[in-house]
Amino acid sequence: MILEAKDLNYYYQDGESRRYILKDTNATFEKGKFYTILGQSGSGKTSFLALLSALDSPQSGAIMFSGKDIKQIGYDKYRRNNVGIIFQSYNLIPALTAVENVLVPMSITENEIPEDKKTVAYNLLDYIGIVKSKADRLVNKLSGGEQQRVAIARALATNVELILADEPTGNLDEEMEQEIIDIFKKLAHEHQKCVIVVTHSNEIAQQSDQTFHLKKGVLSSHE
Amino acid sequence: MNFFKRAILSITRKKGKSIILLAVIFILGNLISGAISIQQATGNVETTIKEKLGTAATVELDYEAIEKMDESEMMELEIEELDLELIKQIGELSYVKYYDFSTSTYLGSETIKSYQGEGMEEEEVMYEGPSMDFMLKGINHAPIIDLEEEKGKLVDGRVFTPEEVENGAPVAVISKKLAELNNLHVGDNFTLINEVYSFDESNGEDKLVTSRDLVLEVIGLFEPKAVKNDAEESEEGMYDFMDIEYQNTIYVANEVVSSEMRYNMEEYMKVDEEMAAAMGEEEITDYYTPLFVLNKPEDTEAFEEEVQPLLPQYYKVTNASDQYDSIAAPVESMSKLSGYVLLVAVIATILIIGLVVLLFLRDRKRELGIYLSLGERRSRVVGQIVIEVMIVAVIGISLSLFSGNLLAQSVSDTMIDAEAEKQNSEEEMYYSELQTDVTTDDVLESYKVELDPGYVGIFYLVGLLTILVSTIIPLIYIVRLNPKKIMM
Ligand SMILES: Nc1ncnc2c1ncn2[C@@H]1O[C@H](COP(=O)(O)OP(=O)(O)OP(=O)(O)O)[C@@H](O)[C@H]1O
Ligand SMILES: [Mg+2]
Repeated sequence: MILEAKDLNYYYQDGESRRYILKDTNATFEKGKFYTILGQSGSGKTSFLALLSALDSPQSGAIMFSGKDIKQIGYDKYRRNNVGIIFQSYNLIPALTAVENVLVPMSITENEIPEDKKTVAYNLLDYIGIVKSKADRLVNKLSGGEQQRVAIARALATNVELILADEPTGNLDEEMEQEIIDIFKKLAHEHQKCVIVVTHSNEIAQQSDQTFHLKKGVLSSHE
Repeated sequence: MNFFKRAILSITRKKGKSIILLAVIFILGNLISGAISIQQATGNVETTIKEKLGTAATVELDYEAIEKMDESEMMELEIEELDLELIKQIGELSYVKYYDFSTSTYLGSETIKSYQGEGMEEEEVMYEGPSMDFMLKGINHAPIIDLEEEKGKLVDGRVFTPEEVENGAPVAVISKKLAELNNLHVGDNFTLINEVYSFDESNGEDKLVTSRDLVLEVIGLFEPKAVKNDAEESEEGMYDFMDIEYQNTIYVANEVVSSEMRYNMEEYMKVDEEMAAAMGEEEITDYYTPLFVLNKPEDTEAFEEEVQPLLPQYYKVTNASDQYDSIAAPVESMSKLSGYVLLVAVIATILIIGLVVLLFLRDRKRELGIYLSLGERRSRVVGQIVIEVMIVAVIGISLSLFSGNLLAQSVSDTMIDAEAEKQNSEEEMYYSELQTDVTTDDVLESYKVELDPGYVGIFYLVGLLTILVSTIIPLIYIVRLNPKKIMM
């Protein structure tokens, strides 16, 4: 068990009343598995993922990483050393090339990174499907699918075991979507990462090892 | 790709923005640099001129205060004379390096000619009445303070001995020009004449009553120190006048002067009975003007504070450096103005650069959010932005270092000219023992806007500090960024 949500409560204050997104939610995630979180628009998938990635904090309950409360690890430290996050809108730095974008987290993390960072970055990109000529391009000169690949490479750059992705294929066509999903499967099954992907696509959910449904504050699991 | 490298890349990749920021910093930098240049230059003037003015101080009547009195006050005005004991008491204060007190009178001569300026044809100006060609200046401090304080320098012979001063020996130190004019050398004697005149009220003429000769031996020759450029002479009537007066000054012991004055007064009273009656039994006292030379310029204020309470009413302490304010008025007003400009420029820079950087940061909100979502410490994100701004700032400020200095030169040239013109008409003069030959022209001459290391240092310090402060506003923005809101 690499990640665990313990009695999570998360709500938005709506005037006088509270609108619960997560109510007494529990969930566990293992290494080597590909998880999907499914739910309707507005059900709170992004909110949940933000909690798991320490970009937000719950009103009560805890998130445990390898048995340790991420609050204790420190949110910033947890993000730079333990988790790779992939967003729907890629969130790459436009002034930098693809390979430079991948290099950014390498200088932020405290994890051990091989001496020759640039080679590592090129290799990572190549593995994800970005050849060298594209790796040296400014990222806004790449297609959406290519940009999301760069974002995945960036999430992997710090050599973390936990990958969180919020609708990573939301802006891509089906063919591209499948290629990205294949990468996630490979990362989970071949590289023993824990991959958690938020989606509202049933096709993606069907390909995962375990799916969580989020509905009205309740998270239910289907193997 | 650490934050320093990211900063460099950000500057070079986003050239447009960097150039805009550079331009803004350059323009504001010129203002700051110009203002500091002028401040620096005026500061230098103050030190140079105050040094030139020296550390002399005197005690004299407060003419300005007396002038301001209304008539009734004026009627009751009774001025005490300055007591010689008091002068000595002040002279013993620790601030005083040495002091002197002096009494002086004017005498004429039938055997020697007075100096009347360079190149001037000797026109015999014939006029009736007491001849006052020579100023007999008494001294008590044997080495002659004027020469020690470099108003003049001894070029031949010697100064007085304490015994000569004590006894009022008939020896004198005269100017070299006067000596040459009359073919006098050290060891020669010359004769002055002390004439007593009476004033005839019926026809308004002076009448010679009696006279006596004063024979003095030349023991030393002096030369005024400040020898001015001939080309300037025509426009410096005032200076000429002062120079001529000094060339015709004859230094003697105070006792020599008072003896001549006593003689003159006694003989006069024999003729003017009214006056003699008015004076009654009162003794004729000598009036001495004191001169104190202080150890350090910084002592002037303390000296003034300590001496003022000792003085009789209507007297005040005057320092040589007091005159700085009046002769340096044009420079002072520029110093003030540049001070305001500096203040305004700094505040404007903080606001403008702050807003420009903030504007640019809003454009880069997503980028900043990415760093934070990757777990970068906020302090490093802040550091990256500060480095970016400061690198551009160093370039902009270095450029404005030179151009602002040039700007200051031309601005202050114009301002000085304007001020100098205004100055000439406004000045009110009071006679003072400490009259100096340092003029507003000297002040303006010593005013130089230069690229000296002091200026460079201060400008970099002020400039970079200002820019640094201006990044505070945008940094608050970074600290408050919420990456979740930006990214998800
Ligand atoms: N800052 C906020 N204040 C109040 N309500 C919010 C806030 N942010 C989100 N919500 C609400 O919380 C609910 C969950 O939002 P969330 O973004 O997690 O949904 P989601 O499942 O990711 O939806 P989508 O599939 O459209 O991305 C939504 O109903 C949303 O309106
Ligand atoms: Mg969402």
